[in-house]
Amino acid sequence: MRLSEALRINQLSLAPDSRCKKVQLVCGFTPLHLGTFVEAYIRNRFPGERASIISGLFGDVEGNLKRASREEAQSAVVVMEWSDFDARLGLRSSAGCDSPILADILEHFPATISRLERGISELAGRMPTVVVAPTLPIPPLTHLPLAQSGSLELQLQYQMIGLLSKLCGIGGLKILNESMLASRSAFRDRRDVNLEFHAGFPYTTSHAAALAELCVECLYPPIPKKGLITDLDETLWKGILGEAGPSGVSWSVESRSQAHALYQQLLASLAESGILIAVATKNDAALVREAFARRDMLLKETQVFPIESGWGAKSDSVARILRAWNLSAEDVVMVDDSPMELAEVKAKYPAIEGFRFPHNDAAEAVNFLSMLRARFAKTDVHAEDRLRLESLRNAPSINQTQSSGDPLDFLAGLDAKLTLKFGTAANDNRAFELVNKTSQFNLNGQRYTESEWQAVRNVPGAFLLTANYEDRFGPLGKIAVVVGRCLRNKLYVDIWVMSCRAFSRHIEYHVLERLFEKFGVDCIEFAFRPTERNGPLQEFFTRFFPHGLTAERFELSANVFMALRPTLFHEVTEVSHG
Amino acid sequence: MDNLSDRLVTCFGLVFPNLPLDEIPSAAAGNISDWDSIAQINLLSVIGEEFGIGIDFEQFEGATSFPALLDRLREIKGRD
Repeated sequence: MRLSEALRINQLSLAPDSRCKKVQLVCGFTPLHLGTFVEAYIRNRFPGERASIISGLFGDVEGNLKRASREEAQSAVVVMEWSDFDARLGLRSSAGCDSPILADILEHFPATISRLERGISELAGRMPTVVVAPTLPIPPLTHLPLAQSGSLELQLQYQMIGLLSKLCGIGGLKILNESMLASRSAFRDRRDVNLEFHAGFPYTTSHAAALAELCVECLYPPIPKKGLITDLDETLWKGILGEAGPSGVSWSVESRSQAHALYQQLLASLAESGILIAVATKNDAALVREAFARRDMLLKETQVFPIESGWGAKSDSVARILRAWNLSAEDVVMVDDSPMELAEVKAKYPAIEGFRFPHNDAAEAVNFLSMLRARFAKTDVHAEDRLRLESLRNAPSINQTQSSGDPLDFLAGLDAKLTLKFGTAANDNRAFELVNKTSQFNLNGQRYTESEWQAVRNVPGAFLLTANYEDRFGPLGKIAVVVGRCLRNKLYVDIWVMSCRAFSRHIEYHVLERLFEKFGVDCIEFAFRPTERNGPLQEFFTRFFPHGLTAERFELSANVFMALRPTLFHEVTEVSHG
Repeated sequence: MDNLSDRLVTCFGLVFPNLPLDEIPSAAAGNISDWDSIAQINLLSVIGEEFGIGIDFEQFEGATSFPALLDRLREIKGRD
């Protein structure tokens, strides 16, 4: 992004009541263009919202950290350069660089590191924070040839890595990936000495733009995709299964098909983190089973569900996979070596993201795999992620059992246990993830950034309710989240989501029943908004409102609920959040 | 107005969005309250980007009006 483009974006007019993202930009230099670019990238990421960048004083990063902790911002970006640790490590200093001075720099460095660690930790305890380690080189201070690393430089870098390693373990804090920054902003193009001397801003506009872009990506990561549908021939492996046979397809360095091994390895890793992997292939099912039985397969058959082998249209296979996963096309990525197959699926499912596997170009394949991993990137992996595949595999037998008899008998025989947790727990990352990824049983489809998520739970009278579920078919983990407020004997529900894996078990009735009981209110007001995908939630409410939901805010009375709710069979346990 | 002048007007419009277009050719730091040292750096940076020139701040010292900036630009572009 060019500076002129950033200024144009920041000047776009917005509605007076548009939401505003307040971000602390903590640094020791004049924020200048970095602030402009951070604002522009936030506005690009959240169209229709404004961004307010709050900065501190020149040359006082420690003081700025303290002031930032007291500010009412929603998140923070801390950008440190070497001169913030010791002014003598910056170009604006000319304090000398003889041996006693260098020794003095080293002596005082650990104390500064400790102070900054405390300041950053305190800030991260208040708001989601991104930390950027020095992006500019240490100026040459010693007698060594420029090609050689010296003890001073290495000791400073060692201590810096120590600081970042400690900070990395703090919840709500993210360290910017320097390698990724280097791929977007070459080291030699980062420093603008003229601007640094003249205005105290050390970056070229191109470096400021790259840094701001990455900081915003780190602060507001995109919502990850949930499932990947892969082809087999020339994609998961090299070769055509129907021609070469199961032993003839390959994925190794020796057979010049290592890109396919790396692809399998990536899919196995995604499966481990709870991403759903399915196969859609035009192949004979028996041959596919035989190939998956090979002991050297890096992606195991147990990590894939379902496998759709056959000779019909790929889009029909995709339809069956989406039904089995209970996901919509926009949550899914498809990988195939055939542009024709990708186009055929895209024609039926325009929302699906399709990629051609670059099987003839190893370098392109490696870049492709990085891009693919980024589509599914997430900060945390939860216990529920590992349960997802198993519960989906069990779904057909549950549905079969359910449809073969009285639904109430079926529910009574589930031995279902529901654990409800009330509280305002600060670091429930699974609840946050569930709110941001659930579309079908979702009261209003609203998505939240980490700071907004913190804010909604900090309003007066706020409560957070989460539900964990388990039955004789296995545990589903944490599957429902409610966030609301109890004010003047009235309950307001602002967020209510439930995983699609938990449908048809009457968990939602239990949740409402417990809310009425717990708060002793006569009615609950819901912040409802119809979305393209929250049909299942609307269908649930038709039991109480047979003519459908017409208002964006509506109330359900306890009397109506108790009169119309079905018999509930779960064993319910209530615990408090720690 | 020539092409150089038009492009400079665009730069001014980006840094001083509230300044009416017809007032830009007579704009000077003395008669625009938003024109502080930060705005001057923003303006020079946008000019550098627009005209593909590295900004030497010394060279633009004292160039705090539209006509003065246009003169400096003509000097620089004339040397190219």
